[in-house]
Amino acid sequence: MKRLLGVALGVLTAIGGFVDIGDLVTNAVVGSRFGLSLVWVVGVGVLGICLFANMSGRVAAASGRATFEVIRERLGPRAGLANLSASFLINLMTVTAEIGGVALALQLASSVHYLLWIPVAALAVWLVVWRVKFSSMENVTGLLGLTLIVFAVALFLLQPDWGNLAGQALAPAVPAEETVSTYWYYAIALFGAAMTPYEVFFFSSGAVEEGWSIKDLVQSRINVLVGFPLGGLLSVAIAGCAAVVLLPAGIAVTSLSQVILPVAEGAGKVGLAFVLVGVVAATFGAALETTLSSGYTLAQFFGWSWGKFRRPAQAARFHLAMIICLFIGLAVLATGVDPVLVTEYSVVFSAIALPLTYLPILIVANDPQYMGQHVNGRPVNVLAMVYLVIILAASLAAIPLMVVTGAGA
Amino acid sequence: MTAHRLLAPPPPVAGRILDAQLHLLDRQVLDHDGVPVTTVDDLEVSGPALDTELEPGAAAPVLSALLTGPVLGTRIFGGRPPASRLVRIPWEDVAEVGVVLKLGVSGENLDAGWVERWIRDRIIARIPGGRHDPR
Repeated sequence: MKRLLGVALGVLTAIGGFVDIGDLVTNAVVGSRFGLSLVWVVGVGVLGICLFANMSGRVAAASGRATFEVIRERLGPRAGLANLSASFLINLMTVTAEIGGVALALQLASSVHYLLWIPVAALAVWLVVWRVKFSSMENVTGLLGLTLIVFAVALFLLQPDWGNLAGQALAPAVPAEETVSTYWYYAIALFGAAMTPYEVFFFSSGAVEEGWSIKDLVQSRINVLVGFPLGGLLSVAIAGCAAVVLLPAGIAVTSLSQVILPVAEGAGKVGLAFVLVGVVAATFGAALETTLSSGYTLAQFFGWSWGKFRRPAQAARFHLAMIICLFIGLAVLATGVDPVLVTEYSVVFSAIALPLTYLPILIVANDPQYMGQHVNGRPVNVLAMVYLVIILAASLAAIPLMVVTGAGA
Repeated sequence: MTAHRLLAPPPPVAGRILDAQLHLLDRQVLDHDGVPVTTVDDLEVSGPALDTELEPGAAAPVLSALLTGPVLGTRIFGGRPPASRLVRIPWEDVAEVGVVLKLGVSGENLDAGWVERWIRDRIIARIPGGRHDPR
């Protein structure tokens, strides 16, 4: 019974923790411009993150090694440092976007300007990272994030033309007013939002934090294989709401208030209350995960002591690095840069940087010295090779498409 | 095709053969309590300088220490820090070589830990809750 509860809790937090500011903004933008014609990308992304999280979780459980330790060992210091620089900068960009997202959501709830909320949000993130137990942190933000189900409820209450929506999703076509290159640019953005590298740093380091062993792998596999696809459905519901309300009205999403507008229209004030709680929880949870990830990547590359399971004094450089990262995020946001814009760029850069973390994990997941008998099976490797091609193609196409489309404008 | 002279087979040695690149460099180093100390940034090998021929019958070079500190920068960007700037962990302190290197001593007294200790004592431990156990 206790085990069953553990599995249920794990699945629920995986669902609630799946959506972050990148998913919220990108799905709403895509829904408002392309309807559901890009929904297949969410499917591709969700299957990819399941595969990737499953591999990195297995590496962490079998060898006790987290992602960036493995990357440095396999790539050596030079390529490892290049990899660290790219991954770390994109992660820092995501930290900035998430804290901005928390502040924007609090602005919507309070009518106090978001720039005033930013120091509050960053301080709250630091306090949780500093003080709260890892599992409590995961469970609370994950469960509160579940209130985003209100997007699915709102979609039903809006009583859309289901046949039309299914038609957009099943027979994807580029809408008349959009070009083929913007279609593919947003396909990559959506892919990057679903398969953000920090999720993998966090997932594998979290496995070490919680002291997973091989016998916990079954539970982690259930969490991933059930939780992430259901989280993906939430993403689809966000896009669906935008497709039903914003697309016909000709509103292209450029702010967080537009992301949640369909919920207010479909589910009224109660829905609005739920969605605000959900957005704050989802972005705050992701802000915690990205902040920790920035500490994890640095500490693992340089071999510092790290982890929330230690007292801060026993992982001093790890904690100092996170404090500095939060200050950098604050400084960037204080310039008044639009957090939604930062988010839109961060998901595309995530897609660009993805091969850097994916390939070393794939190699180590096949290395018996680390994995013993738990190396990748043949079906996993076939799927992993297919995804290697997809990830490389998305990564290489992203910059040219960004230039051609003027970043999707 | 040119005929290659076959390399002499390696002399039989007792124990495990370790490949510096594969098993030592860039591996995580843990102290005897399992606390991470550093990553192996470079190795110190005794004997004649690099690129000089070994006299026949001379004693084989011996791995004397794991290196860390500024040597990581020079390993990436080239060059060599002066010997006084090398942070050594003597090879005698290494207890076990596996997926990670385990030391037989506490990391608390190693030179390699001074930055960590400095940041701990001067900054992190002074922030309220810095010594609070999260579990």
